[in-house]
Amino acid sequence: MREKAKSLAIALAIALSVLFGMPLLTSGAFIAAAADVAQDNWKTEFEDICSKTQDSMAFTSDELKSLVDRCDALKPRIEKLDETQKKVYLKRLQMCRDLLAFVMQSKLEK
Amino acid sequence: MKKVFLVFLLVLACSGLVVAQTGTKKKRPLASDYGNVVMNNYSEKSGMSAVVFSHWLHRARFTCRLCHVDIGFAMKADGTNIKAIDNMNGYYCGTCHNGKRSFKGVEKMFEACSKKLTPEDGKRCDRCHSLGKNVKREYDLAEFTAKFPKERFGNGVNWELAEETGVIKPLDFLDGVSIKRPALTIQKDFSLDAKVEGMPSIIFSHKKHTVWNGCEVCHPEIFIGVKKGATKYSMIEIFDGKFCGVCHGKVAFPNLDCQRCHTKPVS
Repeated sequence: MREKAKSLAIALAIALSVLFGMPLLTSGAFIAAAADVAQDNWKTEFEDICSKTQDSMAFTSDELKSLVDRCDALKPRIEKLDETQKKVYLKRLQMCRDLLAFVMQSKLEK
Repeated sequence: MKKVFLVFLLVLACSGLVVAQTGTKKKRPLASDYGNVVMNNYSEKSGMSAVVFSHWLHRARFTCRLCHVDIGFAMKADGTNIKAIDNMNGYYCGTCHNGKRSFKGVEKMFEACSKKLTPEDGKRCDRCHSLGKNVKREYDLAEFTAKFPKERFGNGVNWELAEETGVIKPLDFLDGVSIKRPALTIQKDFSLDAKVEGMPSIIFSHKKHTVWNGCEVCHPEIFIGVKKGATKYSMIEIFDGKFCGVCHGKVAFPNLDCQRCHTKPVS
């Protein structure tokens, strides 16, 4: 719900910027809201990456490399979460990354 | 007097040698205790008994993967560092034990660790924080598994057969926790040659293992090598709790049950 409201606010800001010029887009409030949304979307990104572990054998090594890179990019965002969430999701992300890297290595060694 | 002292020394030296050669026999746990895990990162420090986790009850209802991947429990006792606040926030034990979640046969899971503690809560705390206490368990192994296929060791239950025949249907997905994923492509079974002549080789079934574990539980944390035979290990290491011994001997059927792995007929 909170996420939806933020997305709506950003969409509104963009629409107003188109109408009234660019200054609104570069305002501090807009940048902060956009950063918040990006931080909130960590779970979507996490689920998207880790949903691919079961069929990881079907991916090419390049696709696997890209997934591993996405894991690495996601890590700092998870590190900003509260202590419990950080503990749970860092471990889950690590397991996911390790498996993808493992499959990638097996493909490269073939 | 000197002679007596010499005889005494001789007896002491001999008995020392005997003990050193034979070691001490490990006591086998009771069927109902097999697989139990004691968690004590913070319990005793905060004046409570350590937690005794019953693996058999949980494995009858959930896959290993659900708890060790989706919920994030480590594969080693005390490896997760669970705090009461984690449970209160709805993670780890609190993922299910939140006073709300229900499963087939269980209407509302009791709440693990709550912010407000009433005198009646004491009994609820004891359900988990039970080490050294005489707590009557809600579920009795013999009664609970009365109709399950039997096995000689471990919990006395053939869990693999129980799952295969549909006696148990371990849950592998939790709303709000698990990620929707495509069905797992099962890798081929393979054989591992026994190192002792005359000992049947092992037929490793990926199918049987992935039902419970998915991929991440074993790879690459337990089995690092990507090619067959790349991870070298011996029975000594397995008995020491490494490789297959991470589960077999602790929760899954113990290594004493040789013929459950060494199944390939000797030619």
